[in-house]
Amino acid sequence: MTTVPPTVDPPPRRPRTQQRSLGASLLDQVLAETLDPSYAQAAARKREAAAQQPEGARPPGSWLARHRGQLLVAATLLIAGLLVAVTYREAAAGAQGREQRREALVEDIQAESATTDQLADQVAELNRQVTRQRDEALAASAVGQRALEQLSAAEQATALTAVRGPGLEVVVGNADPASDTDPVGGSESVALAGLVQDRDLQQVVNALWASGAEAVSINGQRLGATTTIRQAGSAILVDFRPLTSPYRVQAIGDQETLYNRFLVSPGARYVADLSKRYGLKFTVGRDKDLSLPAGSAPELRSARPLEEPQPAPGAPTDPTPGG
Amino acid sequence: MIPVIGLAVGVVLGLVLDPSVPLWLQPYLPIAVVAALDAVFGGVRARFDRIFDAKVFVVSFVSNVVVAALIVFLGDQLGVGAQLSTAVVVVLGIRIFGNAAAIRRHLFRA
Repeated sequence: MTTVPPTVDPPPRRPRTQQRSLGASLLDQVLAETLDPSYAQAAARKREAAAQQPEGARPPGSWLARHRGQLLVAATLLIAGLLVAVTYREAAAGAQGREQRREALVEDIQAESATTDQLADQVAELNRQVTRQRDEALAASAVGQRALEQLSAAEQATALTAVRGPGLEVVVGNADPASDTDPVGGSESVALAGLVQDRDLQQVVNALWASGAEAVSINGQRLGATTTIRQAGSAILVDFRPLTSPYRVQAIGDQETLYNRFLVSPGARYVADLSKRYGLKFTVGRDKDLSLPAGSAPELRSARPLEEPQPAPGAPTDPTPGG
Repeated sequence: MIPVIGLAVGVVLGLVLDPSVPLWLQPYLPIAVVAALDAVFGGVRARFDRIFDAKVFVVSFVSNVVVAALIVFLGDQLGVGAQLSTAVVVVLGIRIFGNAAAIRRHLFRA
C-alpha cells in the first residue's frame, strides 16, 4: 500500500502565457516568491520520510538531539540580534560622534578667531610703539629729520599711514535678485551675471589711480602698491580679507580732477555698461571729508645691515667644531 | 520559545558588550541586517505555513547575510556600491513586505 504524499502548494506563480517584458517578469517573480522555496522542498522531503516510517515511531534520543533544530535556530537568532544591536550602536555612535566633532570644531574656530583678533591688536599696538620710538630717535638729529621726511613720504606712497581728505566715493554692488527668480532653484547664470566680480573692482580701482587718486580703500581696506583684489568662490578678497557687497571704493585726491577724469575713464564706462546690462549697482559721489585707514605693512622679505661688520682678527673662520 | 530567548540574548549582548567592529566591515553591517531581517521574516512565515525547517532557516540566514555583504563589497570594488546596495535593499524589502503580509494574514485572518 502506498500513500501518495500530499503535495505542498508551490509558491504562487503567474502563468507565463502572455508575453511580458523582462523587467516586469522579474518584478513578478520577486513579488510572488517572497518565501524561500527550499522551505516547501524540505517540508515535502520530511513528509515523504514520515510516510515511509512506521506510524508512531518517534526518533529516539536525548533532549539535546530532539531540540537540535531549535537550538540551531536560537543560535542563528542570537547572531541576528547581535548584528542588529551592533549596527544600531554603530549608527548611534556615528551620529553622536559627528555632532561632537562639529561642536568641537565650532569651538576651535571661535577660540582661534578670538586669538587672531587679540594678536592683530597686539601687532597694531607694537607697530605704534615702534613708529613712535623711531620718530623720537630720528628727530634728534638733522640727518635723522631728513630721513624721517623721506620715510613719511614713502609711507604715504605705500599706504602705511591713515589719511584724510576730500575725494570720491564709488559704490559698486551686486544686482538685486529679479522679483520673478526663485532664490532657491532660480537660474544660476542670471544670478551670477549680477554679481560683482574681482575684475570689475580692479577696473574701478585702476581707473581711480589713473585719474589721480592718492589713496584708495575698499570697505575700509586700504590699498597699497602690492594689495591684491582677488576672487575666491563667491567672495572677493582684498588684501586676503573677504569683503561683501556693496563695495565702497573711496579715493582721496583732487575732487574735481578725480571726478571728471574718472567718469570718462574706460574702467568706469566698463562698469557702467555692466550696470546697464546686468543691473549692477554703480554710483559715484563726491565727498568732502574721507578718512582712510592705514594699510597693512608688507612682509619684510630681505634686509641687510648698513655696514658690513668687521670680522674679529684671529677669530676662527670655520665655526664648526673639529672632530 | 528557545529561539526568541536567543534573539533577546543576542540583542542584550550586543548592547551591553558593545563589541568593536573592524572599520572595513562597518559599511556592510546595515545591508547584513536587512538580509538577516529577510531571513527571519521568511522563517516566521514558514512557521505559520507549517513548513518551517531549522536547517533551511540557518542556511538561508547565513547565505543571505554573506551574499548581501558580498554583492555590496563587489559593488564597492566596481564603483557602483551605492546602486547595488539600493538594489539589494529593494529586493529584500519587497520580500520582507510580502512575508510580513503573509504573517499578518495568518495572525489576523485579514
